[in-house]
Amino acid sequence: MRILKTTLLFVTASALVMCSPDDDVDVVPPSESLEEQSHVIFDSEAVPYGTLSEYGFFEGEMAALEPAAGVLPYDLITPLFTDYAKKKRFVWMADGSSASYSADHKTLNFADGSVLIKNFYYDDVLPDMNTRIIETRLLYKIDGNWQFAEYVWNDEQTEAHLDLSGSYFDIEWLDDAGNQRATNYRIPAEGECFTCHKTGTVAMPLGPKPQNIDKAFAYKDGVKNQLTKWSEVGYLSGSFPSEIDRLVPWDDPSELLSERVRSYLDVNCSSCHLEGSHCDYRPIRLAWNETAELENLGVCVEPDEMINTALIRIIAPGNPARSVMHYRMASVVESERMPLLGRSVVHDEGLELLTEYINSLTVICD
Amino acid sequence: MKPLYLTAICLLTTAGLSAQNTCDDAFEATPGTITVESVVGGQVPTPICAQNGIGAQRGVWYEYTAVDSVTTTVSTVLDQNQGLDTRVHIYEGPCSDRVCVAGNDDVEGSFLSTISWQSEPDVTYYIAFDDRWSSSGFDSGFDFTLVETEPIPEPVGALGFTTQPMAGWSRSLGIVDMNGDYLDDLLDVSSSSVSTMTQTQNGDYEFAIVATPPAAFPYSWSIAAGDMTGNGYNDLLYGGSVGVNFMFRDDDGEGFTEFHTTDYVFSQRSNFVDLNNDGLLDAFVCHDVQPNVYYMNDGESLEFFQGGLSEVPDGGNYGSIWVDYDNDGLVDLFIAKCRGGASLANYNQLFKNNGDGTFTEVSEDAGLYDNVQTWSSAWADFDNDGYMDVLVGASSFAQGGHKLMHNNGDGTFTDITAGSGFENLGATGIEWVAYDFNNDGYVDVMGGNGRFMMNNGDGTFNLEQFNGVTNGPVGDMNNDGFPDIATQGNIHFNNGNENNWVKINTAGTVSNANGIGARVELYTAAGKQIRDVHSGVGFRFMHTLNVHFGIGTETQVDSLVIHWPSGITDVHVYPDTNTFLLLTEGEETIGEPEEEEEEEETVSTLDADVRGFELYPNPATTELFLKSEELPVRAVIHIFDLHGRLVMQEPYSETLNISNLGHGMYIVKVISDGFVTERKFVKTL
Repeated sequence: MRILKTTLLFVTASALVMCSPDDDVDVVPPSESLEEQSHVIFDSEAVPYGTLSEYGFFEGEMAALEPAAGVLPYDLITPLFTDYAKKKRFVWMADGSSASYSADHKTLNFADGSVLIKNFYYDDVLPDMNTRIIETRLLYKIDGNWQFAEYVWNDEQTEAHLDLSGSYFDIEWLDDAGNQRATNYRIPAEGECFTCHKTGTVAMPLGPKPQNIDKAFAYKDGVKNQLTKWSEVGYLSGSFPSEIDRLVPWDDPSELLSERVRSYLDVNCSSCHLEGSHCDYRPIRLAWNETAELENLGVCVEPDEMINTALIRIIAPGNPARSVMHYRMASVVESERMPLLGRSVVHDEGLELLTEYINSLTVICD
Repeated sequence: MKPLYLTAICLLTTAGLSAQNTCDDAFEATPGTITVESVVGGQVPTPICAQNGIGAQRGVWYEYTAVDSVTTTVSTVLDQNQGLDTRVHIYEGPCSDRVCVAGNDDVEGSFLSTISWQSEPDVTYYIAFDDRWSSSGFDSGFDFTLVETEPIPEPVGALGFTTQPMAGWSRSLGIVDMNGDYLDDLLDVSSSSVSTMTQTQNGDYEFAIVATPPAAFPYSWSIAAGDMTGNGYNDLLYGGSVGVNFMFRDDDGEGFTEFHTTDYVFSQRSNFVDLNNDGLLDAFVCHDVQPNVYYMNDGESLEFFQGGLSEVPDGGNYGSIWVDYDNDGLVDLFIAKCRGGASLANYNQLFKNNGDGTFTEVSEDAGLYDNVQTWSSAWADFDNDGYMDVLVGASSFAQGGHKLMHNNGDGTFTDITAGSGFENLGATGIEWVAYDFNNDGYVDVMGGNGRFMMNNGDGTFNLEQFNGVTNGPVGDMNNDGFPDIATQGNIHFNNGNENNWVKINTAGTVSNANGIGARVELYTAAGKQIRDVHSGVGFRFMHTLNVHFGIGTETQVDSLVIHWPSGITDVHVYPDTNTFLLLTEGEETIGEPEEEEEEEETVSTLDADVRGFELYPNPATTELFLKSEELPVRAVIHIFDLHGRLVMQEPYSETLNISNLGHGMYIVKVISDGFVTERKFVKTL
């Protein structure tokens, strides 16, 4: 009975998603059928390997990021901003391993032998207008603990080498609107990975939360809701609710302004501004399930840390110029900018969204 | 036709809105509530007398003259102005040559404004509002009140500041000597330059910008200065979220040489300190997310180390300060810590210096192992009992508030926050520093974003706050002996008062060049005060390396005793007051006592001979008797070995237990009321 019910729920969830016109359907090279034998090599005694190719996550020319059997691509409703880098995300699990649902806003419970693979690249890189993959980050779980591995791609784009000490990569490119952009891209050291990817002192993935992966994805064998797909291939076991309190795409103008801002802040800020996290001693709480409360968003809240005498509210309704959050998002000064890590240029479109939101607020502070 | 049409519209608009004026045609303001009609233009008020700079588009002007000498208060903090955001400037005329009297943007916790000033009779003052932040008040109109009250005389010894913008200067990261003349200078750095606003001997300021090699890790959170190379010029250390670099000042004082290692360091508070007591400054850097790091200086190069001085794997290190908490002559390390979530990284730590290059974490025994979220702590002997106390300033009240911890002198601290005034300080802050801002002889605390907690000397502190004087480095930018503060492009000069002071620069010879780590004791009739020489206090800024004492109404210092990190102790008898003293390691000085004091001494028939003491037995094994005909006043006994190293220091008593001393000859100095009397003795086993 239980199994039957679960299946029914999947159908419902899937149907809902399929009918939604708002879902951002990305076309990514589809994976081979998972029924095929996985050729990924993941020896928990030997990882992290010295090179990315040793895992066998990708088939053919590695730079094409064509997933091997058992390597499932996934996408997020709202992604983290990291200096406009594009990302391709994959999940792989050892034979018989699966994740389970815990809560809409909590990372899925992954089993040992799970690997999350996140590739960071730019298109239209100057001067040759080519694609440049910079790094591949792995989060893998062994003996109940998540561990980090960081692979830096070579100039030939044929291999990526393990390097957990952190480095920089200068890059110039044309963005999707054709604007020339540049950044001194930061490839994180292990300590930087851990600063965001943790709860207390326990390392954690951030992206794969039901609220952010409950969306359709164009697989090789058709468009399907990601949770449904994970379930079908055995990467998700047990049941999950038919309706997930999910994020909205931050850049979808058809969604509510407040929900777009809340989605953006959840993904970009709540890994620290969450109870139990790195910065929970500051008053704001920016997770999706907490930001329906204006006070949690910082509206009218006085900041603990003074940046300058003009910034006397975290969000001053109708007044972005007096709002700490706006100032920090507009700053590239390391000691003032937010997020602290993962961003070195201003996210113009994200800032525009926040500005519009602050201007829309009419609350009068005490 | 078209121009005419436009003119008609303009006229119509002007007619419908009453206020569009300038200083020259200012409306009259008299005590009461005044309604400002909506404003379409008007003269934008300049110069800007309030905080938060340029950006206004519109202004409205009032003129006001008092009949008597009164305190005048203008305020927009009124119910009907709720939701508005005002800014006000007060000038003294004439309009063509007006100067700022006062100004206010935000009254505490509000976007509205309140300002008070002393009005003199028959002087015209101009009250000008602008729309720096919000057009809404100018669109809809707003009210303000003008109230006259009896002037309140300034209390004697009160703290006050006069703000002076420094032309061409925009940010002060430090107030510290940068040209080797021991006078404090303003300091700023960029990724490729060091800027200074140098204080000259004649009281002028000279701007200089020196190109540096590119900083591998530009400044983000903290900066420290100290003479690592011993060439007479302070070197710099700063860094960012992934590394640390040093800028060594060249021997000719011109350029800088950059040095860094590629080690990953999420750098927070940094300090120069001689960790192995070899006479060369080493460097310590708080690591935000990993164990702390330090760089050992062997005179040729720096070597990177991580660990040992806090092993907490996820760091949490924000505000390190090197201070001798147990009076053993060795600098110890306290770290103010912060971290959200379930982690031990937010428990403050205290590392006792064992004197052999090792440190022992003693915070639990000391009573300082506390998880209050803090980014810095202010250390000083707040009650002048000879031991360094600490104010642990909360950066957040999420896990407890500010803690004033009294040093019991036995390695433990007692929480004396209740009743001190700190329990009522509702503001948090990341910068907490201890200076005697009013020179009354009791060290005050600046913290909570520019709030001054003035030490009353009886265990209580009261809050004073000054418009625009916020977080910034502290030092003496006009050499008047009263600590000043720099923020952005301004120096907030301490107005000073009648209190006396002594300012010292410690020049090491055997010890490191800055004398960092030295303990300075000052004796007056009011008792003893102590300071430690530190590089790196508070969280972000580099505060002066000069040692500053306020001595209140005392006019004579009996003696200054400097315990150098080398172990050498120098005694300076009757040093000059209200002046700057450059005291070099190994050189002792004897000044002239005040005439008044001499008279007193004549009356009491005290002179050096009478102050002498009999010492027996000699040789001695376990006990030494120091018998004086006159009971020494505030006497302290110091025993030195023949290398000049201090081996014992105790308040005077007739019987001294010397059983812990090794075999050999020693010099005992009794310092009392400005006199030093010396005897030699032999200790036998």
